Amino acid sequence: MPGEPSGDADGDDRDGEPAVPTDEPAATSRARTDGGTVSGAAAAESRRGPLEGVDALPLLRAVAGTAGFLLVWYAAALTQPTYLLPGPVEVAVAFYGELVARAVYTVPLAGTDAALPRLVVKLLQSLQHYLPGLLVGTVLGIALGVAMGWSGRLDEALTPVTRVLRPIPPLAWIAFAIVWIGIGHAGATFIVAIGAFWINFYNAYAGVEGVPRDLREVAASLGVHDDLAMVRKVVLPAASPEILTGIRTSIGQCWMVVVAAELFGAPGIGFQIISASQNLATDVSVVYMLVISLVFLASDWGFRRVERRVLAWRV
Amino acid sequence: MAGLNREPGADTDPGAASASEAEATGTETPRSTAREAVVVDGVGKTFRAGGEPVRALDGVEFAVGEGEFVCIVGPSGCGKTTLFRVIAGLETPTDGEVRVGGRPVEGPDVDRGMVFQEYGLFPWRTVLGNVRFGLEQTDSPAASADERAREMIDLVGLSGFEDAYPAELSGGMKQRVGIARALAVDPDLLLMDEPFGSVDAQTRDRLHGELLEIWAETGKTVLFVTHDVEEAVTLADRVVVMSAGPGRVRETVDVDLDRPRARTDEAFAAHRERVLELVRES
Repeated sequence: MPGEPSGDADGDDRDGEPAVPTDEPAATSRARTDGGTVSGAAAAESRRGPLEGVDALPLLRAVAGTAGFLLVWYAAALTQPTYLLPGPVEVAVAFYGELVARAVYTVPLAGTDAALPRLVVKLLQSLQHYLPGLLVGTVLGIALGVAMGWSGRLDEALTPVTRVLRPIPPLAWIAFAIVWIGIGHAGATFIVAIGAFWINFYNAYAGVEGVPRDLREVAASLGVHDDLAMVRKVVLPAASPEILTGIRTSIGQCWMVVVAAELFGAPGIGFQIISASQNLATDVSVVYMLVISLVFLASDWGFRRVERRVLAWRV
Repeated sequence: MAGLNREPGADTDPGAASASEAEATGTETPRSTAREAVVVDGVGKTFRAGGEPVRALDGVEFAVGEGEFVCIVGPSGCGKTTLFRVIAGLETPTDGEVRVGGRPVEGPDVDRGMVFQEYGLFPWRTVLGNVRFGLEQTDSPAASADERAREMIDLVGLSGFEDAYPAELSGGMKQRVGIARALAVDPDLLLMDEPFGSVDAQTRDRLHGELLEIWAETGKTVLFVTHDVEEAVTLADRVVVMSAGPGRVRETVDVDLDRPRARTDEAFAAHRERVLELVRES
């Protein structure tokens, strides 16, 4: 009897969204083994209705784990002064404070000032170098990766250079960012772009190299004769899973780079983390650490949705 | 019964390719009465991978008449896939040339439709998108491309699956898409490299029947590479048997049997034994 729902879920896999049905059988089997081995109560529950147990148990565990973590954090914070270890309550209060406090944000290009919650202003300032850096680095990285993956000659010519430059951490370029353009938005943008560049370069390169020969040969036999058409119609779509993985990875990694670049003085979330802690307002530091996490989770979730839609053909 | 007997002595003759070439031009190819769709003219191929050069093909010589169904069989390493790639224009021969429809082959093009063992479908395109691909490379309007593609999908019996992605299809269905896609651009020649090597035996039998029907319906010339002797005798008008090291044409066997052919049939068994013997000896 408990096997039935999981069997159904398997059957639905083919046309439904892949993530949803594939989770279900795993959850069912987990609930089932728990019922047999861990406790009689769980067994009774799974006997009453397997579907109820499927949804409730993993959620319950997640809630219990989170509550446990908060409790340990809370207890530990009681033993320390707030500036050394702010507790969850202090952080929540500080979060509210950052939402209420107003700060001035100068809208780029337009140049007008807007009074917004401080937290939003800091986020917008970070985005001001995160987004252009990500965009420029991604476009250039994919362009060079595809070009080198496609052209053997270009690959041979540039491989030594890319091999040597790629392992250099983006942040090591900070010295040049400072002497060339100063450590404002432009400097931070530069650092972020370098981070995005290598991630996307490597993924695009590997993706293009991995395009099966058959596909190019079939396309040629069907009338695709020039390189540009072959890249556009065959190579890019065939390499799109790897290219999209590169973009998604860089979306995450570039937040790390942003924060690190801001530690050197560019305004934004990372700068706020360090300056708050220098004022011993570590609760505010934690608030901004959490903001990074939330922004990352939101953008990753958003991009995964895009990815799933673009790569629907992978079934 | 044996078709063209290419002077077995030539194979063992240490004399260079030029000798066998001269001899070959002197000999008449069979079916010279029908227009020749494919002429393989003294084709040799040497690979230089690393140190030792490897002679994959040597003095390969045969012709395929228009509308003919010819199978190429041989043991592994006999260069049949290399020959396929040379005819397709994916490899340049070291000696000789291949002419399709009277024109020398200079690269892959729409006059030769290719079907691969591993299907070579574009996974990001639907069945309809795959079959349409070649039509999109021409100036033909979208509506007529669509119509033509649907016709081909119908021809291979996949109506109703137009919007499915290759990942959703079985091996047999994938290969039907591959055949429909190759036929959509109306090539003179259908080139197939072990097209049914990745499907199960039952599906293979069904696909044989379907391919013969399509062949009869479209009148295409088919050149079909396989290592399976029974498959070759089931399908072909003529079977070109190759020998290895370097790859040469050992002999060509005519299969003058009515289709569909029953494997239990005595004449069928006799042909199969004949070809098997040639493959074993080579």
